Amino acid sequence: MIKAGQIDKGTALLIKGQPFVCIEREFVNPGKGSAFVRLKLKSPSTGQVLSETMKSQDNAEDITVEDRDLQYLYNDGENFYFQNTETFDQIDVPMKSFPDYEYFMKEGETYRATFWEDQVLDITIPSKIVFTVAEAEEAVKGDTVQGATKYVTTETGLRVRVPIFIKQGEKIRVNTETKEYLERVNS
Amino acid sequence: MYNFDAARKRSELLMNIRTYFIDKGYLEVSTPTLSPYLIPEPTIKTFGTRFVNEFEGSRDLYMIPSPEIFMKKLLAAGSGSIFQISQCFRNAEQLGDVHNPEFTMLEYYTVGADDRDSIAITMEMIEKTKLKGIEEPWLREKPLIISMHEAMLKYAGVDMDKAEDISYLREEAIRLGLEPGENESWDDTFNRIFLTYTEPSLPKDRQVYLTDYPDKIACLAKHSDGKPTKKRWEMYISGIEIANCYDEETDKEATRTYFSEEYRKMENERQGTEYVTPPYDPSFTDLSIPQSSGGAMGLDRLLAVHLGLNCIEPLLLFPLSDMLRQ
Repeated sequence: MIKAGQIDKGTALLIKGQPFVCIEREFVNPGKGSAFVRLKLKSPSTGQVLSETMKSQDNAEDITVEDRDLQYLYNDGENFYFQNTETFDQIDVPMKSFPDYEYFMKEGETYRATFWEDQVLDITIPSKIVFTVAEAEEAVKGDTVQGATKYVTTETGLRVRVPIFIKQGEKIRVNTETKEYLERVNS
Repeated sequence: MYNFDAARKRSELLMNIRTYFIDKGYLEVSTPTLSPYLIPEPTIKTFGTRFVNEFEGSRDLYMIPSPEIFMKKLLAAGSGSIFQISQCFRNAEQLGDVHNPEFTMLEYYTVGADDRDSIAITMEMIEKTKLKGIEEPWLREKPLIISMHEAMLKYAGVDMDKAEDISYLREEAIRLGLEPGENESWDDTFNRIFLTYTEPSLPKDRQVYLTDYPDKIACLAKHSDGKPTKKRWEMYISGIEIANCYDEETDKEATRTYFSEEYRKMENERQGTEYVTPPYDPSFTDLSIPQSSGGAMGLDRLLAVHLGLNCIEPLLLFPLSDMLRQ
């Protein structure tokens, strides 16, 4: 058991027997009232997000989690498929629990996953990933404005704004948090 | 590393606020931040320290959570309308978001005014003290004045006329999917509902004045006539609580009752904990406070909403959380 005031982003909790991961936490001290915390909790199995307001002194059931490295294999539109890099077990994770993650899932790349028993509660995306440009608009002829940009699409389907000199087939490093282009990678 | 842009905006806001009140004839005062006594407020944890005097005996002192205690003495002594911008301290508040244990507060008392007059004063002050070149969308919308009764009914479906009865309030909390504790106080169950359903639903695109708080929540505001409410409002901008205001209690007996009950509550709750229980000034309850309305406004938060932020840390040159990390 922990106090609700100790819950932080990433804390895993058991609520009515189901695991949830805290994705947002806000402290609230109402005028002339006890301290409360407002939490947004995500169910890793359904992707459902629960809003909870608890007194900081309320008890919450925390669960022990463990991090393991998983290598991304592919997805079939419903599940992501990974392989545990130590045991070589194959693991499937429902895509709806991790919306938009498909844009950052690169075949063969290793991701850190948080497990509770055999269930994946969270997947950490590296802060920078190198992608291959799958599609690039042609730069408009005569467009010589300094700092001009265009959109490209990566092999994972992510649209990124890049300088106009980036061509199809080239590799680019992208900040996964802001989805911004960082640099061209020479292979 | 230091956000000097924010520092310039803060300086401009503070200057505008000073000019606004001085032009209106308020006296700017400066009262202590360190005091041997405070107003008993069980929900506010205080910083305690010690004045060491080798020869005449040492004394415990406390950092003020608001300058109210001193400003009300000045009101009672005939100061007329007064205001102050001061540093205030609240212990045990979590770090981050809109909290820092030390923060800047504007406290303004208008003699002869009531809580409704203060709404007009506050709206005008917000309008006239806005920052140059910044016009946040919420400044363009007409402020909303809504009573707690209306807000609880609208956003939580709870009828505050029946809510004096704690069993009704508990049933409502359970109906709403909340889990009030076994022997939970009225205040806590109310706040569970209020913070889960009502406060997050208040409009975020304008100033919101939430008025007529339940009288079950003890405070030094006057009781409303014939209603189970207090003449108290809180103001929100972008969902952030910015200000709190009372039609100040002037009845000495009511003040005495508040002091003794709240002090006892505080003493009971803090026994065996790390929290200090500051003594209160016995002469405070004899003050003849004139009819007045007092507002307290968090200026770090006001600056944040002017700049379109929902947290105060980027605006502080030295946030405590940063200093503690070093």
